[in-house]
Amino acid sequence: MIPRADATQIAALALVLLPLPLIVTAGGATYQLRIVALFLVFATLTVALNIVFAHTDQLFLFFGALAGIGTYTTALIAEAVGISAWATLPLGALAAGALGAAVSYVAARRGMTVIVLAILTLALQLAALEFFVGARDITGGSTGFPFDGLSVAPIADLAGVDERVAFAYVLIAVLLASLVGYARLRDSRWGAAFDAVRQDPVAAEAAGIDVIRTKVFAGALGASIVGAVGPLYAQSEGYVLPSMFEFQAVDVLVLVMLVLGGSRTLLGPVVGAGAIVLLDEFLGEIGQWRTAALGVLLVVLFLYFRQGIVPKVQDRYDAYRSANDGPDTAADG
Amino acid sequence: MSLTTGIELVIDGLARGLSFALLGAAITLVFGLGNVLNLALGTFAVIAVVVAVTVAGAIGSVAVGALTGLIVVATLGLVVDRTLLSSVYRSEGEERIVLGIFVTLGLAIALDGLMYVYVPLTYSLAHGVPGVELAGVGVRGSTVLTFAVAIPVLAGLFGFLDRTRLGTATRTVVHDETGALLCGVNPRRIRTIIFVVSLVLAGIAGLLRAASSDVTVSAGFELTVFAIIVAIVGGVRDLRGTVLAGFGLGLVITAANFVVGAYLANVLLFAVAVAVLIARPEEIS
Repeated sequence: MIPRADATQIAALALVLLPLPLIVTAGGATYQLRIVALFLVFATLTVALNIVFAHTDQLFLFFGALAGIGTYTTALIAEAVGISAWATLPLGALAAGALGAAVSYVAARRGMTVIVLAILTLALQLAALEFFVGARDITGGSTGFPFDGLSVAPIADLAGVDERVAFAYVLIAVLLASLVGYARLRDSRWGAAFDAVRQDPVAAEAAGIDVIRTKVFAGALGASIVGAVGPLYAQSEGYVLPSMFEFQAVDVLVLVMLVLGGSRTLLGPVVGAGAIVLLDEFLGEIGQWRTAALGVLLVVLFLYFRQGIVPKVQDRYDAYRSANDGPDTAADG
Repeated sequence: MSLTTGIELVIDGLARGLSFALLGAAITLVFGLGNVLNLALGTFAVIAVVVAVTVAGAIGSVAVGALTGLIVVATLGLVVDRTLLSSVYRSEGEERIVLGIFVTLGLAIALDGLMYVYVPLTYSLAHGVPGVELAGVGVRGSTVLTFAVAIPVLAGLFGFLDRTRLGTATRTVVHDETGALLCGVNPRRIRTIIFVVSLVLAGIAGLLRAASSDVTVSAGFELTVFAIIVAIVGGVRDLRGTVLAGFGLGLVITAANFVVGAYLANVLLFAVAVAVLIARPEEIS
């Protein structure tokens, strides 16, 4: 069970998302569909960062590496064994999740502060990328390889829709599932433990919460989501390329999306991802200012807008309600 | 591997170590003073190179170009310190560390983004220093230049910190900020000066790199990462340790490049950083 308010929000989001792939492809435009897929992928990644960073203060700066490990594990084992990538997708998620768990465990065990974990994971990110590019025999090097292992063509044919549209629905299902899972998690004992550990680890420990276990759980969960989303991302791009998993191409975006949308909120990651993907498209038309604009946005967000869109809107809405029909809300209790 | 090759590797490694020491010192000074990990360091090094190459091409003097590059970087540093970093220094403790990471990361991405648009080429300095050969051991001109520039700069840095009033004041702030305040030292002013100094050090490291190989905008982030790893291995508040770590890593990476190739050598460098962080996480906190 999830809280009613959360269920309503997820249902509302589902109503918005479900017609989206059909609307953008009404004129046969596959480019817009690709943007929608990108948005769905990054929204799910941001949900994962929300759990790991916003809830348990573990600044993972190797989401790119985790997504890459998930993708290469899934794609390469599927090819080596000769089975469907759908069967090896759990292995990809498992590999990334195991790494996330190991990093969280070592960090919590060694009492690493936010910045130490940040640098540690950044070093892992860069090492992983060196490996993706350098180990040409295994990964195909910087030119990568085409990937179609997670194709949903058979089902799409049965349903009589375009394969790419069908795949967008897979991505929507994954995003909605991650949000339902997040809402349940936040409402559970784990959610309470996350809050306690984030606010005061010593007090949490004294209250009988296993701090290390809590952080490892969050790290493993977040990392395995990333490990599972990586291969889906590769499928929607049709290719596995090391540059897809670069620090600047994944981590920076996901961080900006989370902070912009609103940390520790249900829809913040989705709103943030949507805003950045739209902004990106908008900037794409006026030149190559994309990277520069992202950097400026990162600075401005962290200096002046740490709160995020969703909490801001929520505050405004609450203030509006209490100003207009204060007695009503009081009566509602 | 012959003896000559071995000696050449050691000389190259030491030259690389000197560059690493300059970069690591730039991180250590700023982090030690104000808990800001400057993720935009390498970007400023690249800016110095781009300005230097452009000016040198326009007026025909590499020395004037290099000097202009350093002056531009110092001026930019002053502006950044007075604006962005002032906002960062307003917060305290862990909050400041996190804010420092994101603000300098954002700055690096923004500046890199601008440079990708306006200066997307490769840049190198035609320094004109001839290579020398001693008893069959060949030393490239850029290596000679590195020794000739970096050794006096590092010596000057230590001289400044050990012998001048301002240097003493700097060390006081690193050790005990409240104590420094009571002695009439203004930590904020010291931070400004040291931030500018750190960018000049990084600029010199960038220029030396441009003397031996091509520099592109993407080298900025790489230089930052090298700098951070050197600082971590050396102890991020310990300048002497950082300089020693620079030499050590310079030798190791040069040897590893020769033995196992560039990509595994880089992986090794990151592995060293991870190992040090796991062994001594209390070092930077």
